Amino acid sequence: MNTRSLRFRLIMWYAGLLTGVFLLCGATMCQALRHYLKESLAESLLRRTQQIAASLLAGVEKTGEPFVADEIKARYAPENYDRFVRLSRRDGTVIYASGRAATFDPAGLPPAAGKDSPRIALLADGNRLLIVAEEYRTPSGREYLIESGGPMQPIDTVLSHLLFLLLLGVPVVVLVAVGGGYILVGQALAPVVQIARSAEQITLHNLDGQLPLAPTGDELEQLSLALNRMISRLREAFEQNRRFLADASHELRTPLTALRGELESAVEQARPLPDLRDKVGSALEEVDRLAKIVQTLFAISRLDAGEAQQEWRRFDLGSLAAGTADQMSLLAEDKGISVNCNVEQEASVEGDRARIKQVVVNLLDNAIKYTPPGGSIHLNVRARGGKAILEVVDTGIGIPAGALPHVFDRFFRVDKARSREIGGAGLGLAIVKSICTAHGGRVGVESAEGRGSRFTVELPLAQPARTKTNI
Amino acid sequence: MRLLVIEDERKVADFVARGLRAERFAVDVAYDGGSGWDMASVCDYDLVILDLMLPGLGGAEILRRLRRAKKEAAVLILTARDSTAQKVEHFEAGADDYLTKPFAFAELLVRVKALLRRGPASRASVLRVGDLELDRLSRQVRRAGKKIDLTSKEYALLEYLAANAGRVLSRTMIIEHVWDQSFEGLTNIVDVYVRHLRGKVDDPHPRKLIRTVRGAGYCVSDEAEP
Repeated sequence: MNTRSLRFRLIMWYAGLLTGVFLLCGATMCQALRHYLKESLAESLLRRTQQIAASLLAGVEKTGEPFVADEIKARYAPENYDRFVRLSRRDGTVIYASGRAATFDPAGLPPAAGKDSPRIALLADGNRLLIVAEEYRTPSGREYLIESGGPMQPIDTVLSHLLFLLLLGVPVVVLVAVGGGYILVGQALAPVVQIARSAEQITLHNLDGQLPLAPTGDELEQLSLALNRMISRLREAFEQNRRFLADASHELRTPLTALRGELESAVEQARPLPDLRDKVGSALEEVDRLAKIVQTLFAISRLDAGEAQQEWRRFDLGSLAAGTADQMSLLAEDKGISVNCNVEQEASVEGDRARIKQVVVNLLDNAIKYTPPGGSIHLNVRARGGKAILEVVDTGIGIPAGALPHVFDRFFRVDKARSREIGGAGLGLAIVKSICTAHGGRVGVESAEGRGSRFTVELPLAQPARTKTNI
Repeated sequence: MRLLVIEDERKVADFVARGLRAERFAVDVAYDGGSGWDMASVCDYDLVILDLMLPGLGGAEILRRLRRAKKEAAVLILTARDSTAQKVEHFEAGADDYLTKPFAFAELLVRVKALLRRGPASRASVLRVGDLELDRLSRQVRRAGKKIDLTSKEYALLEYLAANAGRVLSRTMIIEHVWDQSFEGLTNIVDVYVRHLRGKVDDPHPRKLIRTVRGAGYCVSDEAEP
């Protein structure tokens, strides 16, 4: 799963927020419940002490302390109700203290230190007791302290049950929410995926394409509208660029013809002047180069306009590559470079054979130019996954990493001085790219400086034994 | 032989006319479509060299009118555009040959001569240049009676040069003739083959037959270097 995808990130945020909200709610709820339960326990304990004070202690001066102790024991029997009651004098002398109850044993509870109420006392057996204390002063001035206690354990049990439910429930709820969210977000983002897929198919040669429009009136429709307008503007810009290229190369041809004609007749007339003849000859060479550049630019503009589909037919890329390598072998031999052609299997493609041959010629020529004597060039052809693949691998000087993205640009040269010496105008790979793209294929390059380059051409394989009905 | 050049670029028209006159053709020149059509319709030319982009009456229209008027003249079209579709279109309209600007004059001349059947290339079965002999049937090459072994490409190159002996052939012409147009722009292949050919044909002999003409191309000739 792509962790940078909008879907993933949305879901993560969603799950995080949901978990946070649940935890906060749960904590608040536990706290509130605990407070409420403790308060109501304290409330009932307080009532007990007030009862004891009002009904028994009020007459202690007449009945005596032992009577009061017996009465408490008889009337309230705190042990049976899981309660604790203790009556003591102000000086700490205990008059009555209840014994072991069902769930706790108050033995060893330290004497009351005064009216600190309500407080929680830890018993020797590990139980916690909530104790409420009430002071009572008889009319004659005797002071007593009545303590009444109840165990915290039932409250703790309720709270731990709640906590257990929360811990079990929150992850389940969050998981369900994440699952639902995943589906919902997926549905919401489906048009985006659709737009991306359509945009992927729009190339320089296929700028007529438009993105699908879902008439939902939402932001995504806005996005596709904006993108479609951008595509239109791009189409215009490319069209202008292409027309300029076509017009410029066209307009340059006539003056070049005149220039060449004049120079040729000058060579004829300059026969007795070898020096002048040499100079005019040099000018003619430049005219030749200029003419070649103009011609290539014109060819690129026509390919880019998709006008190259005149001589479309089916042929085997392997035999074309092998034949071309054979025709160029002398060029390589001349530099002491070996060319190995390895055709794995037949790879039928459809297209303009002369143009595809030009691709092979240009790539091989480049490889020969940039491979020092003693090197080797491998030309591989194979068919893989619906594609015919042609590789030209050399052991040449390679291309610096910074230049790699630009090698297919028009007029780009890695080392201007060196290329001029070799005689390139920086258009050979540009036309290779234009031809490949016009054939629905692509060309790529990998290179390690000083170790060599690998150019890979991918063309769609022709459908096997297709019946031609619509041509 | 009477030729008509219809071309609105005066410089191009003039150097074509001058070069053709030097080859002893009678050449008329028209600088626009209207006067070109007038001249072509009145006189009987053997060949019309026709630029396609003309002000006023266009080259395509002149070609159509020529054919409708049943003029016998061969038509060589000059154009700055060279898409295959257009070529086919013009051949269908009755053009005999097609030349894309910028062209070398030598190339124009070769085509003109081919159209006029004065043939640039000798059809003889044995070509002779000085003491070099090419037997076109057995594809054997001898110099001063001694057999020379050539690869098939080397032979094709030498035959093309020898068949046009005395004429300078541009690298582009050689590539289109001996290789194919996919090799356009790869002129160094011509240089490499010529060097190999020299090694076999010229190096053992004091008299050199294969000559380099700077800026123009190569030439096989028995004449002494000027």
